[in-house]
Amino acid sequence: MGHQFVLIISATIFCIGTAGFLIRKNPLIMLMSVELMLNSVNFLLVGYSSFLKTLDGQIFALIIMTVAAAEVVVGLAIILTIFRTRHELNVDHINVLKG
Amino acid sequence: MFFYAWFILILPLLGFIGLSLLGDKIPKKQAGYAGCLTVGLSFLVTLTVLGQLLGLAPEKRLGHVETLYQWVSSGSFKLDLAILIDPLSVFMFLIVTGVGFLIHVYSLEYMKDDPEYSRFFAYLNLFIFSMLLLVAAADFFFLIVGWAFVGLASYLLIGFWKEKTSAVLAARKAFVMNVIGDVGMVIAALMIFQNFNSLSYMDVFSAAPDQFRTNDDTMLMITLLLLVGAFAKSAQIPLHTWLPDAMEGPTPVSALIHAATMVTAGVYLVARCHVLYELAPYTMYFIAGIGAITAIFAGTMGMVQYDIKRVIAYSTMSQLGYMFLAVGIGVFSFGMFHLMTHAFFKALLFLSAGSVIHGMNGEQDIRKMGGLRFAMPLTHITFLVGAVCLAGVPLTSGFFSKEAIIMSSWHAEMGNFVFWGMAVLAAGMTGFYIFRVYFYTFIGKSRSPETHPHESPFIMAAPLLILAFLSLVMGFSAHWVDQFLGPVFGATAHHYEDATLETIAVLAGLGGILTAGVVYMTSQDKLEFAKQALAPVYDLLFNKYYIDEIYDFLIVKPVRAIGAFFEQKVEKEGVDFVVDEVGLQVREISRGISFWQSGNVRTYALSMLVGMVTILFFVVFL
Repeated sequence: MGHQFVLIISATIFCIGTAGFLIRKNPLIMLMSVELMLNSVNFLLVGYSSFLKTLDGQIFALIIMTVAAAEVVVGLAIILTIFRTRHELNVDHINVLKG
Repeated sequence: MFFYAWFILILPLLGFIGLSLLGDKIPKKQAGYAGCLTVGLSFLVTLTVLGQLLGLAPEKRLGHVETLYQWVSSGSFKLDLAILIDPLSVFMFLIVTGVGFLIHVYSLEYMKDDPEYSRFFAYLNLFIFSMLLLVAAADFFFLIVGWAFVGLASYLLIGFWKEKTSAVLAARKAFVMNVIGDVGMVIAALMIFQNFNSLSYMDVFSAAPDQFRTNDDTMLMITLLLLVGAFAKSAQIPLHTWLPDAMEGPTPVSALIHAATMVTAGVYLVARCHVLYELAPYTMYFIAGIGAITAIFAGTMGMVQYDIKRVIAYSTMSQLGYMFLAVGIGVFSFGMFHLMTHAFFKALLFLSAGSVIHGMNGEQDIRKMGGLRFAMPLTHITFLVGAVCLAGVPLTSGFFSKEAIIMSSWHAEMGNFVFWGMAVLAAGMTGFYIFRVYFYTFIGKSRSPETHPHESPFIMAAPLLILAFLSLVMGFSAHWVDQFLGPVFGATAHHYEDATLETIAVLAGLGGILTAGVVYMTSQDKLEFAKQALAPVYDLLFNKYYIDEIYDFLIVKPVRAIGAFFEQKVEKEGVDFVVDEVGLQVREISRGISFWQSGNVRTYALSMLVGMVTILFFVVFL
């Protein structure tokens, strides 16, 4: 077991996140899928950080987590507002910005 | 030395600016007085200049250039804001400010009931300033500036009664005709600058005789182009059609601008540029010919008109023809002398006609007048004085000035019997048309008994009396004028004595008067018969040789057609079409592409994924 393990886990989580984002219609779930993708990357960074004996990856993972937290705040706020105005949450119906 | 002569110009300019800005705020009367005052003061300054000039020896009176400051200095091109004081310009100052002042005073009463009194006086002041600038200019540049300004003032004053459509159309016509002349002048000035590298009169006139042979092509071209401007301003054939229409303006305007001063600018120009014209004798013959033709041509049209002002307008054209004949045959000072006497008696005739129109409550048709000698005795006398002067009855001013020209047209170096014959014929017509108006207006019984004509008040009568006096006596100043202007033209004009010719010319004038009397006495039935017999000729004259119609057909209609073509084909179907099509096509293309932006989040996500995978594929495996 070497770094392939980290790679496989990370790729799997990323694919689950991507599939979730593409398949699900609930924006809340989609947001969670995005988190999953981000965290797969974090996992990769932390894994390789310990593997290569440097702290760069861990610091970078911390930064990503901070950004993700901020992003979730904004995303949730938007979702909340959409729900308040439209009383439903289905991304396929949220398409008023089409050309 | 004559620096204070600038005040002659500045005073009317101040009057114009002041009245334009404050005209509505000060009482009506004060506005009128202010307008008169500036011109009156300007006249006094002119008299001072005249006095000082007369104190100098004749040969020292020339070429006093008074520079205010240098206006342009660009490479070799220098332009000073300067005026030229010499006998010729002072002579013109005297006429412009003197007659101008009298007409300002007359207008005080004549325009009394007009709601835009101060605007009228502002324009009159503007005109006086422009005319003074025209005659005072020391170079061709400011000559053209003044030239264009008088055109503007003329336009504003002809169209003064702006609610009258005919007045506005007449103003436009006058402006367009004058602009044709301006273009000729500007091209002439450019050619002068090209050849002499200066626009100043002094430089050009001193260099011209050395630089060019007589009848040099360039010189002919320059003089002819200057002449386009002169003919347009002075209403000579073929640019004359605006002058009769200009009578739509108030009568004082007709008297001041379209008889006494502005229309004589062309004669002044030829006299001022006599050095150039003497180098181009062919042009001189051309001027004399056009002048003589205009004198006759305008006379024939004047003989059949019924509008009192129009008859006098045609008479003005005819007399201007005389002046051009005079300068054309090289007797410049006789031309200027006739310009002066004409300014007096024509202003007098117009103001008397104005007094008649005023008394008749705006009626201008002489067929509806008659018997006014009882109702308006004073106007009757002054009109008669003007008429005898115009007809050249012996010992009046018109006699002296016209005889001098008619004599010279035979005897002068460039004269010949053709010019003389035409001048005499025109003199006969002059007697006829002016006395036809006189008889119609003042003799016999009133033809419209319901109107009650009244004599004009003193303030209108006073200028009439002064002008009548000047018209009668100024003829005796012929010798003095000749002496005064002599140095400008190099030599005094020779006064030819020829009793036979003189008698013939006088008889022509008197014959015209007599004919008018006979025609007037003839009963209406016989006149109708004569009219029937001469119907083709009469119609031709009454319709002014159909020149307006010919111009309309040859120039106005084609220009309109071209305009319509450009509006419809080039503008709407050309330029507009291209602009609209570009906009429409961009919109169509955008509409085709815009379906990519579906608004569907998951589609975007899939697109991103596919794009990422593709890029990765290329990066990793290729």
